Amino acid sequence: MYTKKRYALPFLLPGLAGILLFYIAPFIGGVWYSVTDGSYKNAFVGFQNYLNVWKNQMFRLGLKNTMELSLICAPLLWLLSFVLSLLLNRIRPSGGFFQSSVLLPYLMPSSAVLIIWLLWFDFGGPVNRLFALLGRDRVIWLEGAALRLPIVLMFLWKNLGFCIVIFAAALQAIPEPLYEYATLEGATFRQQAFTITLPLIVPSAFLVFILAWINAFKIFKEVYFIGGAYPDEPVYTLQNYMNNMYSKLNYQNVTTAAYSFAVIVFALFGLLFFLQKRAQRGLN
Amino acid sequence: MRRKRGARFALICALLFILTLVMLLPMIQTFLYSFSSIEDMKAYMKTRGSFDGEAWMESRLSPAMFSLGQYYQILITDNTVLRLFVNSAGYTLLILLGQALVIPAMAFALSRFRFPGRDALFFAIILLMLLPFQVTMVPNVLTLRSMGLLNTVWSVILPMWFSPFYIFLIRQFMVGLPGELIEAASIDGAGTARVYLNIILPVCRPILGAAAALSFADCWNLVEQPLTYLAQRDDLQPLSTMFNQLAKENTGFEFAGAALYILPALFVYMFFQSDILSGIQLTEMK
Repeated sequence: MYTKKRYALPFLLPGLAGILLFYIAPFIGGVWYSVTDGSYKNAFVGFQNYLNVWKNQMFRLGLKNTMELSLICAPLLWLLSFVLSLLLNRIRPSGGFFQSSVLLPYLMPSSAVLIIWLLWFDFGGPVNRLFALLGRDRVIWLEGAALRLPIVLMFLWKNLGFCIVIFAAALQAIPEPLYEYATLEGATFRQQAFTITLPLIVPSAFLVFILAWINAFKIFKEVYFIGGAYPDEPVYTLQNYMNNMYSKLNYQNVTTAAYSFAVIVFALFGLLFFLQKRAQRGLN
Repeated sequence: MRRKRGARFALICALLFILTLVMLLPMIQTFLYSFSSIEDMKAYMKTRGSFDGEAWMESRLSPAMFSLGQYYQILITDNTVLRLFVNSAGYTLLILLGQALVIPAMAFALSRFRFPGRDALFFAIILLMLLPFQVTMVPNVLTLRSMGLLNTVWSVILPMWFSPFYIFLIRQFMVGLPGELIEAASIDGAGTARVYLNIILPVCRPILGAAAALSFADCWNLVEQPLTYLAQRDDLQPLSTMFNQLAKENTGFEFAGAALYILPALFVYMFFQSDILSGIQLTEMK
């Protein structure tokens, strides 16, 4: 660890300047927009914008959908990647092919893969064929509430690999005899997973959950590609709202909605960090 | 007992193998379809979107007849896709170059130096990482406009040079490096610049590779930034924003376009695959 401050400067300055200019200054400067009326006088209006935005139907719809979608996506992704990495750990050292293939979708551009998605979920496409085979009625996947399924699946498809890699790395560090002993004592797979494995990998499990949730909050590209700027109501996200307000040049509404969301995000992750610290202290 | 374990092993392997196939199928299908002729694909894509309860789309995995027609179209006859591809490549290259100069250095400063405000700065970076792009969209547009950068390529490139997530990722890796590494070099008389270039960077190779690959994925998939910052410049749009429109027009060559679009990501992935795996394994995830 270096203590001489001036040596840090050449490394720090370029990055710091950029972060300040393109991230922190806009973030702070934006607050001003959310409390002024945007007229040529740009009068201070206090919390009036916030009241207006929170009363707005579309904002509420967007917020509700973003929350709901992330509450579906993040826990599902977390659980799936946990279970799959446990299975992967079981068959170590084989399974390398699986681990490296599931990571591939993370690098794939959404719009290139989307055509395939549209084919699969077409009314006459393979997914509905599968449904018909199972004796179910066909579903119109690309409209209305059903559209959530392809979007959630695409999210899982894309993010699963990255989460599995993080989990798998943590699992490899757990000594094998621990499981052998537990098996001798008659612990089932599920018992082992939640009483031995999970407590030992709390930091990684937490990181995966946070990353899953961050990415779930950012689900927008897929919605935009499938539904355009004004998708059906069940998938209209907060980002749709902000983008549309932006294209109407209503900067006040964009920033107000943005800060409302930022406060929610910070509060949520703050709570999660707090819980994680508690959980870890409880275990030690 | 032994037999039973063998059966379970086989079961898990089979399950994971099927899952792998399903995960890879979109890419495989794209490549297979890209060798179908344009007329064939046009006709096939027209059968989409029918809500006739009796009719099905034909399920096919590979083209009826092998043809390079789609590739001929996008590479030689019509250069729309190729032009967008070049735009995307340009953005990606310039962003990655800038990131390589700025981000590891900043991570080094944040992990190996002690200075006032360091922890506050790192905390701010974590907070910024959590936010979606739209939160600072408007103030960013105004900043870029006042700098005269809006509707130029730099409006997309410059902010990406300072992506908080990669600063976080690399910093976490550097924090985990043993202090002796640097002490030994310092005793031998190496200055900070030497330590950074000759010791830190080589040792960080896995995480740098991982970050490069992940960042490549971001750049290759840019959507929000070009749509907002380059709203008036259709000629500067990358493939990621325009590809969808091309695909909707039912041109018949969308799969060759998609294949061309996927290919660089595939190469990057194959090249950096082991770095991603080991980089994440060695990073301090706390």
